[in-house]
Amino acid sequence: MFGVGFYAMLTVLAGLIVTAFRAPNPVFGAALKRWIEQFAVLVPRMFCALIAAGFCAKLLPAEWISGLLGEGSGFSGLIIAFLTGLLVPAGPVICFSIAAVFVKAGATPAAVITFITSWSLFGAHRLFIYELPLLGFNFARLRMASVLPVPIIAGIAATAISLVITIKMLTGR
Amino acid sequence: MADLQKPQDIQHSPKRADKVATASGAPSGAEAGLAFLGNRDWWRGILSTAFGRGFFGFMAFAILVSIVCYLMYGMAAVEAVLREDMTLLVNMMPRVVLALCVASLLWVVLPRDRMARLVGTESGLRGLIIAAIAGTITPGGPSSAYSLLAVLAAAKADRGALVAYITAWALLGFQRILIWDMPFMGAEFSMVRFVVSMPLPILAGLIARHIPIRFDASKLPKGSR
Repeated sequence: MFGVGFYAMLTVLAGLIVTAFRAPNPVFGAALKRWIEQFAVLVPRMFCALIAAGFCAKLLPAEWISGLLGEGSGFSGLIIAFLTGLLVPAGPVICFSIAAVFVKAGATPAAVITFITSWSLFGAHRLFIYELPLLGFNFARLRMASVLPVPIIAGIAATAISLVITIKMLTGR
Repeated sequence: MADLQKPQDIQHSPKRADKVATASGAPSGAEAGLAFLGNRDWWRGILSTAFGRGFFGFMAFAILVSIVCYLMYGMAAVEAVLREDMTLLVNMMPRVVLALCVASLLWVVLPRDRMARLVGTESGLRGLIIAAIAGTITPGGPSSAYSLLAVLAAAKADRGALVAYITAWALLGFQRILIWDMPFMGAEFSMVRFVVSMPLPILAGLIARHIPIRFDASKLPKGSR
């Protein structure tokens, strides 16, 4: 049920508890206070947002979109992949399942990379569940403006790399 | 919090710096214990944060999309989605609880002023690179990455470093690549994605430094200060 990350975090936690015990002041009270405060910010919202995200993912027409991302879709394919990434407000299970659907339907690697990058950066579930409650609207706005060109840049770079690989294969080197 | 602003002459001794940060995490002797648990106003504040406008906004949206889903696919689909969501929530809770434990202990233990210097406004390109590497190796999902980001922001880290950190976590995070990219998309695809994404957190951090959008770390949301 739990992956590598969970156990890595447990190890970090154990180290922190040791460090906190060695601190001169009773820090556990302050830590508990912050824990309760952040729990209150995150968990009730998470409950509603996750349910909403599940329905949104169900409503997304993944197979229809994959037809727009194939060979020859070029730059407009990257734009569509970018916009689709914005529309997947759910965790990696759903994002990567959709990416697999895209690959099966013949989408270019560059378009799939743009889609995953766009989802990684703009996934609305993370924005609403974590970023806005913990860091606020101003930070979210700053961050999103800063990473706006990133998915398209990733897609163009991936196109370039696939071109190089194709040329190498064609010339037999 | 007053201790944070004081200039320090003991910055090179990690142990003493720890002490200072500890003291700033627990402002006064009386508050350092569990006295806040008996404070009714504090609990009222917690409740109003937990069930504020955001909560009801999400609830309304969830109800709206569930109705659309019902109209398009019928009751069975709605039930299936709800069952999946519940499984997801139950699976997520231990992770969230653990991530919050780590973040809140870090909050009181870390020498926040020294960290801010490492990735502060004056840290230049080096600060962005440090932040990007930290984001890449941060274990755990969004609950841990965003709680750590909130700690960094409260420590007055540079805005470019904050953006570089969370962008690196989102694009390059080792855990995501090992658990999701590799099995779903294959090693070759994940390698290409990793390579094209490598410079992007630094780029995003540089953009964040120069973009004319106001961001004031002292005005973080209530639960994060």
